[in-house]
Amino acid sequence: MSQIDFFDARIIEGTVTAITLDNGDVDDISVNFSQGASVRALCHGSWGFTSIEGEIELNNALDSAKELAYKMNSYSPKDKIELASIEDPKIGNLPTIKINPNDISIAEKVSLLKDIEKNARVNGVKSTSLMYAESQVKLEYTNSEGIDCEYESVRTGFAISAIASENDQYQVGRESRFGIHGYEIFDLHDAYDLAQNAGNTAVDLLSAKQPPGGTLPVILDPELAGVFVHEAVGHASEADLVQEGSSVLKGKIGESVASSIVNVIDDPTLHEYGYYPFDSEGAQAKKNNIIKDGVLNSFLHSRETAHELGGRPGNCRSQGYSTPIVRMSNTYIENGDSNFDEMVEMINDGIYLSGSRGGQVNTGEGIFQFNAEKGYLIENGEITDLLKNVSLSGNTLDILNNVELVGNDLKMHSGRCGKNGQLIPVADGSPHIFVSQALVGGD
Amino acid sequence: MYELGEAALKLATSEGAEEAEVYVQTNYSTSSDVRNNKIESAKEQKVEGIGIRAIINGSVGFASTNISSKVEEAVRRAVSSARVRENDPDWQALPSNSKYPKVRGIMDENIKFMELETSLELTNQMIKSVDELDGVDVTSGSFSRSYGKKLIMNTNGVNVFEEETLVSGFVDTIARASNPSHISTAYDFQISRNLDIDIHNIGKNAAQLALKSQNGESITSQKTDIILHPFAITDLLESSFVPSLNSDNVQKGRSSLKGKIGEKIGSEELSIIDSGLLDNGINTSICDDEGSASKETKIIENGIFNSYLYDSYTAGKDSTESTSNSTRSSYNMIPNIAPRNFILKYPQSNVVEETADGIYITSLIGAHTANSISGDFSVEARNAFTIKNGEISKPIKSVMISGNIFELLHKISGAGFDVRLVGGTVTPSIKLTDMKVIGS
Repeated sequence: MSQIDFFDARIIEGTVTAITLDNGDVDDISVNFSQGASVRALCHGSWGFTSIEGEIELNNALDSAKELAYKMNSYSPKDKIELASIEDPKIGNLPTIKINPNDISIAEKVSLLKDIEKNARVNGVKSTSLMYAESQVKLEYTNSEGIDCEYESVRTGFAISAIASENDQYQVGRESRFGIHGYEIFDLHDAYDLAQNAGNTAVDLLSAKQPPGGTLPVILDPELAGVFVHEAVGHASEADLVQEGSSVLKGKIGESVASSIVNVIDDPTLHEYGYYPFDSEGAQAKKNNIIKDGVLNSFLHSRETAHELGGRPGNCRSQGYSTPIVRMSNTYIENGDSNFDEMVEMINDGIYLSGSRGGQVNTGEGIFQFNAEKGYLIENGEITDLLKNVSLSGNTLDILNNVELVGNDLKMHSGRCGKNGQLIPVADGSPHIFVSQALVGGD
Repeated sequence: MYELGEAALKLATSEGAEEAEVYVQTNYSTSSDVRNNKIESAKEQKVEGIGIRAIINGSVGFASTNISSKVEEAVRRAVSSARVRENDPDWQALPSNSKYPKVRGIMDENIKFMELETSLELTNQMIKSVDELDGVDVTSGSFSRSYGKKLIMNTNGVNVFEEETLVSGFVDTIARASNPSHISTAYDFQISRNLDIDIHNIGKNAAQLALKSQNGESITSQKTDIILHPFAITDLLESSFVPSLNSDNVQKGRSSLKGKIGEKIGSEELSIIDSGLLDNGINTSICDDEGSASKETKIIENGIFNSYLYDSYTAGKDSTESTSNSTRSSYNMIPNIAPRNFILKYPQSNVVEETADGIYITSLIGAHTANSISGDFSVEARNAFTIKNGEISKPIKSVMISGNIFELLHKISGAGFDVRLVGGTVTPSIKLTDMKVIGS
């Protein structure tokens, strides 16, 4: 088929091991060995994708992707798709793994996890669960332009949750740490301490109050502000969403979209959970300033969107053998020059929201909703009562414009981000931020 | 498939497993994706893999692979993992071979053998119905079809093979406006085992809903009647209620429904049934994902709580029978407990017409942030409208609802005629009395 303009392939080989403990007993131990490939072909304005698992017959998969693209193009001819040009990526500065998880026996891992779990059982905790996972993945990329590159990555992490209950009331405390590390993840983080924190949070929340609802001044802690910047700003800056009209940031490059003290970055080269040396199109990973001094500076791009909207490729990613799409990596609000105490003083009366239970966003309308793990009432410039079931919702651009102070205590959190049914590892973060008004849900 | 399964079971036994099980899955799917009103790409995906459970002294080890040369290693790892775990005296046994029911409507040859051209034609119909309306665009959408086979074999004689098909379509739309704050979005989707979905209506509904939602007005915080569209009630129940039905959560002290069997937990006329046997059901199958014959379970009957959801292990622990709710989303997942077809029943009427003053909510943002044990939730409503004198009146700009699912079940006071399949949940619109809403 001479009409095929471009094709590429991702070949992935991986092993994932997971251990879960429930109330201190081993619940599951599982291992998965997998390999597969995903292949794309472009025929004028149409893409064909094929993904296969198991024994890889690359030529068959390639023929099938080419045929899909060709048939698509004959059925519904469209404008030609051009891809921004890229060069062979340079792979340096790969994260180093100090302790290969393969060198530690399952029995030893189980025994460490059991010790960690005991620390979550503070007085009042009725139930706990603990999860540990390690993955080793080798990814090879090759395309019709002659780019050929590969790298291997190791990721490990653990999550602890503790549940306290009293009079039909249940509260949960959670802590998790994931990273591009080997088994040294347990040297980098004090898992015993984190387990105890999870337990204490659950117990404390039992006696917490319901927040007052309504439009209020708020302080967001680094974790929740990180979730906000990822969900509300990061997704809206994904160029495929911009292109299809599903982003409030569409057409706003060069315009002020936030308070002038706000800087938002996406940087896959940071050795955080969303790290990669090149993306799923073989494009070199690079730092992007999404918002610079309050002004929208850049979207996140694939090769296709970079050519169409103007920009740099390097943010196209895929889960396993899925289709690559525009994604974030490590997304954060850059440090400012305020500190937390100043914020509490300035807010006088308001709410301090801390931790995250997740959120959701409508990037087209620029509306979001997040739940904090907990909150604190601030009265007369003092932190007072602990609050439970605190949620935050509103308009992305309103919140960005209402940021009055940005702290100097940036912290990153690891997580997994979902888009079009694909989950990928990412990190997000922020320093504490003070927002003059936001809609808080509660009583 | 059979030879692979037999060999794996044999090896597990010779490695020392007292019981063993294999789950072999093959799935072939194709889809076409839409962006900006155009069909952008065609996709095909082949999945094939095997999951192995090995049991020693009640302790279970699991391994999976899609590489045929790694199957033996996976079997050995499943057995060695089972040895690492402590003995579990609560373990009874893997299911035994039994009489399986007949189920209807889960396999459609038209879907199994659908050509790419047909699939593209259907995708086109879906987006054409949006084109027919002014001021609204398709931002994204997809039409997909799949055909799957599964084989479950274990050392207690279970040997089940089944084929199934699935088809689904969704459309996201945006209604344009010169003032960005008047832009509104909407979506619609349908899923079915058979080629009976109303493809034209998916696009039409999503387009009309986006247009109707433009120029939303602010409302004040108040207590009022709410009607939740099947999308909204399904989302809310899945996040805040369903986890408490899981017997594993109950046994581990993570369920608000612990000790509540026989108690009144919802309005008098509310019934909820879990069924693996529903004709054409998305989660219908002759057995669950560990080979227990499918059945029907009354979860709530006339407001009274009747049963948790069990697999063979948790049922053994409670000295009862499995409700056949062992589920896996893929061969590489350890089976867990989840509803099959989750059917809400309440006497139906013209709920909107009967509402003098209230709010209609199509879907929710943030339902998954609910406290899955206590049932507390606080969510943002999407495509919401005021109801005045029995009619849908004006779109609402922003409204949050917060509350507790176990209080909400008592507030159910009506259901519409509009029963939908929202994945495995089968429900009409549900009316709730005296709900707290937060306006802006």
